[in-house]
Amino acid sequence: MSTPLLQLVDLSIAFDTERGPIVPVRDVSFCIFPGQTVALVGESGCGKSVTALSIMRLIPQPPGRVVSGQVLLDGRDLLTLPEAQMRRVRGKDIAMIFQEPMTSLNPVFTIGDQIMEAIVLHQQVSRREAREIAERSLREVGIADPQRRLDEYPHQMSGGMRQRVMIAMALSCQPRLLIADEPTTALDVTIQAQILELLRKIQADTGMSILLITHDLGVVAENADVVGVMYASRIVEFATVEDLFDRPRHPYTQALFRSIPRLGRRVDRLETIPGAVPNPASFPPACKFHPRCALTRRLALQAPAEQTRRFRAGDEDIVLMSACVSNSPVPLNYRGGPPNTSNESDEPLLREVAPGHWAACHFTENYAAAAMTRPILDHKRLTATTATAAAPEASA
Amino acid sequence: MTSDAIPIGHEHVPPGPPAEATPSFARIVLRRTFASWRARVGAAWIGLMAFAAVFAPFLASSHPLAMKIDGRWSSPLLQHLTAADVILLIAAFTALALLCVPVAMSRRMMLFGGVLLILIPTAYLTIRPPATVVYERYREWEAAGRIERAFYAPIPYSPSDRLRDQPQASLRAPDRRHLLGTEVHGADVLSRMIHAARIALAIGLIATGIAVVLGVIIGGLMGYYSGTVDILGMRLIEIFEAIPTLFLLLAFVAFFPRNLYIMMAIIGLTSWTGNARFIRAEFLRLRKQDFVQAAIAAGLPLRSVLFRHMLPNGITPVLISASFGVASAILYESTLSFLGLGLVDEPSWGQLLNQALGVGGTFTWWIALYPGLAIFLTVFAYNLVGESLRDALDPKLSGIQ
Amino acid sequence: MSGSTSDRPVLNYRGSPLTSDQRSLTSAGYVPLLDVRDLRTWFPIRRGVFSRTQGYVKAVDGVSFQLHEGKTLGLVGESGCGKTTVGRTILRLIPATSGSVHYRGRDLLAVPPGELRRLRRHMQIIFQDPIGSLNPRMTVGNIIGEPIQVHGIARGRDREEMVASLLRRVGLDPSFARRYPHEFSGGQRQRIGIARALALSPEFIVCDEPVSALDVSIQSQILNLLDDLQQELRIAYLFIAHNLAVVEHFSDEVAVMYLGRIVEHASAAELYSNPRHPYTLSLLSAVPEPDPRPKRTRIVLQGEVPSPADPPRGCAFHPRCPLTVKAAADADAKDVMQVSSAGISLRVLRRCVLETPPLEQKKGERGHLAACWVAQ
Repeated sequence: MSTPLLQLVDLSIAFDTERGPIVPVRDVSFCIFPGQTVALVGESGCGKSVTALSIMRLIPQPPGRVVSGQVLLDGRDLLTLPEAQMRRVRGKDIAMIFQEPMTSLNPVFTIGDQIMEAIVLHQQVSRREAREIAERSLREVGIADPQRRLDEYPHQMSGGMRQRVMIAMALSCQPRLLIADEPTTALDVTIQAQILELLRKIQADTGMSILLITHDLGVVAENADVVGVMYASRIVEFATVEDLFDRPRHPYTQALFRSIPRLGRRVDRLETIPGAVPNPASFPPACKFHPRCALTRRLALQAPAEQTRRFRAGDEDIVLMSACVSNSPVPLNYRGGPPNTSNESDEPLLREVAPGHWAACHFTENYAAAAMTRPILDHKRLTATTATAAAPEASA
Repeated sequence: MTSDAIPIGHEHVPPGPPAEATPSFARIVLRRTFASWRARVGAAWIGLMAFAAVFAPFLASSHPLAMKIDGRWSSPLLQHLTAADVILLIAAFTALALLCVPVAMSRRMMLFGGVLLILIPTAYLTIRPPATVVYERYREWEAAGRIERAFYAPIPYSPSDRLRDQPQASLRAPDRRHLLGTEVHGADVLSRMIHAARIALAIGLIATGIAVVLGVIIGGLMGYYSGTVDILGMRLIEIFEAIPTLFLLLAFVAFFPRNLYIMMAIIGLTSWTGNARFIRAEFLRLRKQDFVQAAIAAGLPLRSVLFRHMLPNGITPVLISASFGVASAILYESTLSFLGLGLVDEPSWGQLLNQALGVGGTFTWWIALYPGLAIFLTVFAYNLVGESLRDALDPKLSGIQ
Repeated sequence: MSGSTSDRPVLNYRGSPLTSDQRSLTSAGYVPLLDVRDLRTWFPIRRGVFSRTQGYVKAVDGVSFQLHEGKTLGLVGESGCGKTTVGRTILRLIPATSGSVHYRGRDLLAVPPGELRRLRRHMQIIFQDPIGSLNPRMTVGNIIGEPIQVHGIARGRDREEMVASLLRRVGLDPSFARRYPHEFSGGQRQRIGIARALALSPEFIVCDEPVSALDVSIQSQILNLLDDLQQELRIAYLFIAHNLAVVEHFSDEVAVMYLGRIVEHASAAELYSNPRHPYTLSLLSAVPEPDPRPKRTRIVLQGEVPSPADPPRGCAFHPRCPLTVKAAADADAKDVMQVSSAGISLRVLRRCVLETPPLEQKKGERGHLAACWVAQ
C-alpha cells in the first residue's frame, strides 16, 4: 500500500458563537492517496464544506478553532504550520475550487490578471512567461481562443466557462490535491458533464488527487473512487464507491438511496426520510440520526421492552431502541468540550464492519464485533471511457 | 396522513417548557439596539430632553403653580398655559397611554393621529392665555406681603422674564438663584435652555418626519413603477439635491419674517432626497423578490403590496438615516440661531451661544458652555442611538435572514 | 382535512356546485384548463444614452401547450431556456409580448386588471427559494391568511381556522402560525409556501423549481406532499425543474425547452424511453446516474448554451447538434453548409441552419412531438 498524500486524523472544529460553541466537524478521519478521488457526501449542515476549508486553513480563527486532530500532508501537520508556510502550500500542493464561480473570481480584474497572479506567486517566472503558462492552462481546460479570453472580465463569461477558469487557476501550479467544493452544483447538467469529464481527464494526465465535496449521489457514483458519507458533523459510512452503492450499511445511506428518484425507474410514491437534518446548535443525544431512522423503529417493534425506549411526541408514542438514544437529556459532550470518543454506549462511532467498509450504527451487521479503526482505503476505480460528441448513440 | 408526515418539530425534542412565541422583528431590533450601553445613555439623554420639552412650563416659570392671594387660591401658571403647552402635554400622555394598551402598532398610530387631529384645532381655538404678562408683579407682591402662600416651579423664572425689577440682572455669573447664570437681557439661562429643548426636538422630529414621508413616497413610486416615473423622479432628486439647505434658510430669513414652521419645512424639503434614493434602491430590489411576486400573484391590492410587503422590508436604511437626520436638523437650527438669524421670540440654544461673544470681544463662559453642551450632547445622543440602530439592523450581525 | 368532503367547501371540488362557467366541461377533460398558444416574451435590450431598443432577449419565443385539470406538465431545460419565464408570464407576473393564455376559455393576457385580480385566486405559484419566498416581517399566519381575507373568503376566527387546517394539511403544527419564517428550516418554509398557494383553492399551480433548493432527504417529502394534494384536490401543476429524474417521476407529460422554444413534448414515460430530439438525448445522457458501473455511454455536448439575446439561425440547436453533423456526413454537397461554433468549424445540414423546424409528430406514441429536421 502506498503512503497517503493527505491524512485527516480525528479532526474536530468548533465555532464560538454568541449562543455558545457549535461543533460542525467531529472526529473526522480519512485519507487520500495519490491519483485517487475521494468524495465527501452529505446534505447541508453536515460539515463537509467546513472540513474542506479547514484542510486549507481557510476557516477564520476566531470564531473558528481547531478542537483537536491533525491534517497531515506527507506527514507534515498543516494545522501547526506558520501562516507563511501554509500560504506556500495553498495553490502549490493543494488547490481549491468553489461552487459559485461568480463570487470566487474578482469582478474588477481580468481573467488573465487573476491567473497570472497565482502563477507569479508560486513560480519564479517573468510576466511574459506567466502569460504563456496562463494561455496554456486555459487551452488545457478547453477554452477556445485563450489569448482573447485572458483579457476578458468574469462577468463576460458564462457559468461553465468561469468554472473552467477557476479550474485553470487552481491547476496552474500543478497541485497534487484538488479540493472541489460542489464544483458543478450551480451549473446546468450538460455543462456539469463537461466539467466533470475535464476533471477526470486532468486527473488521468497528471495523477492529481481530488477531494470532491458534493450532495449529488450521481456525481459521486460516476467520479469517485472512495466515498465518505457525512451526517451531523461525523462520517457515518466510508467505503469504495462500488461497495457503497452495492451494499450501503448505514440506515441514513440506505434511506438516501431509496429516496432519490432515478431516471428510467418510475415509482408511484417516493420513499422519504421523515424529519429534517438536525441543527448543529441542537443535536439530538447519542446517535444523531435516531429521530429519523427507520431501522431503529423497525427493530424496536420486535425487541423486548427493556431494550427499547418510549417517547411521547405530541399525541403519538414513538418507540426506539435504547442503544440509539441516550438517557442524558442534553448531549453535554458536544457543547464545545472535546469529543468523547471513548463513550461507546452513547453515539455509535465508525467501525470497520466489513473489509474496507466502515459504518457507524449500532445495528449494522457485524458492528458489535468490528474493530474501531480509522478509515484508510487505497482504491482507484478502473474508469470506463466516455464517448464524446462525434456521433450520438441511439437512445440512452 | 401518510407515514412521512411525522409532525415536524416533534422529532425527539426533550420535554421542556414550550418555546415562547417569537417577538416581532421590530421588537427584536429595539431590544438589540438598546442592549448596548451607548444607546441607553443616548436614549436617556433624549428622554431627559423630551421630558424637559413637554413639562417646560411646569419646570421653569415665574408664575406660581398655586398662589393664595387676598384670601383666594389661583393658579397663574395654569392660566398662562398656551395652546402649544397644552397640546404637548396631552399628546405626551396619550402616547404613553397608548403604549400600554395591547393593540397593534398601526392602530395605535391611527388613534394617536385622531387624537391630535381633534386636539390641535380645539386647543388653538379655546385656549387663550392673557396677552400681557408682567412677571415682576409676583416678586412685588411677595415683597409687599400680599401673597400668603405660593408654590413655584423648581426654577422660578420664565424664559422671557427679563428681571426688570432687579438691577444688574444681565450677565450674572451662575449663583444660588440662577443656577446657570443670566443672559444678556437678564433672563435666566437654565429656564431658557429648558424651553429651548422644545424647539430643538420639534425641529428635529418634524423636519425629519417631512423628509421621511416625502422620500418614502417619491422613492417608493420610483422604485415600484420604474420606467418614465423613475426617470422623472431622478431628475427631481437631482434638482433638490443641488439646493443647499443652510443657504436656502439664510435666503429665506433675508426676505421673510422668521417662522419656525417654514424652517422645518425647508429643512424637510431639502433633505428628503437621500431617503428617496434608499427607498428606490430597496424597492427595485424587493420588486424582484419572490414574496412580492407571490403577493401580486395572490391578487393582493397594490396598497397592501407596497405597505405591508415592500415597505417594512425596505425601511431600514431610512430609519438609520432618520436618526442621524434629526441630529443634523438640530444643528441647522442652532447654526442659524448662532448667526443671529434664527427665531426671535422663542428661546433656542444657538441663540444663547450667539450671546456668548459680546460687544467689544467679551466672552461670557456660562452662556457658551451650557447651551453648547446641550447641543453637543443632544446631537451626540441621536448619533449614538442611530449607530446602535444601524448595528442592530445589520443583517450579518443578526440571526435573522 | 384529509378526505373529508364536508369541511370548508372552498377546498372541496368533488360535487361542488358550479360556481364558474365550463367547470363541468373541463372536469371531463374536453376543454383544457389552460391553453397556451404561441406565447412570446421578449425583453428589450436598451443601450445608449436614450435607452434605445437595440434588440430583444427572446426568453420565450413561441411556446404552446395545454394543461388539463388534475394533470402535471413538466417543463425542463437548462438555464436560459425560458422555462421560468413561461411560468411567470402565464401568471402575468411578467408582461407577455404576444400570444394567448386561455384559462377556461378566457384569455388571461387580455382581461382587465379588476377581473385579473379575481381570476388570480385560481392560479398560484410555488417558488424555488424558500428563504426569499416568504415575507420576513410577517407571521406565518398572516402570510397564509392575508390572501384569504383579501379575497373575501373568511375573516377573523374563520380565517384562523382555515389557516390552521392548511398548516395541518401540509404537515405543520397549527401553532406555527404565530412564528416568523426565519425560525423554520428550508423544508418547512417550502411547506408554508405550499400552504399559501393552497389558501385560495387554486385549480392550477406553477411549481417553479420547488425542490431544487432543498436537501435530498427533504425533496421526496415535498414531492409526495404535492402528489397527495394533486390527488385530493385535482390541482393541475406546471412543474418547472432542471432535475430530469424528478420531472420524470412527477409529471404526466414533459416538454423540453431550448432557447425559448419547446423542442420536444411527450408523455413522461415515452420521453424517457424513446427520446427523439438530439438535445433531449444529450440531456438524458448527461444526467449522472447513481450507479458506479454505468451502463450507457455518454454524449457530451461541445460548446456553451448560446445566449437568448443572439440565438443561432434556423434550428437553435444546430451549432451543438451531433445529429446534423452525422447527417451532413452522409448527405449531398448541396445540402450541406459550413458553420463555425465555439471556434470550431462544422459541416451541418443546410436546412438546419436556414429553417426553423416546427414541432410535429414523430414516430412513437400519439402526441409525441419534436422539432427536428433529422429525427424521425
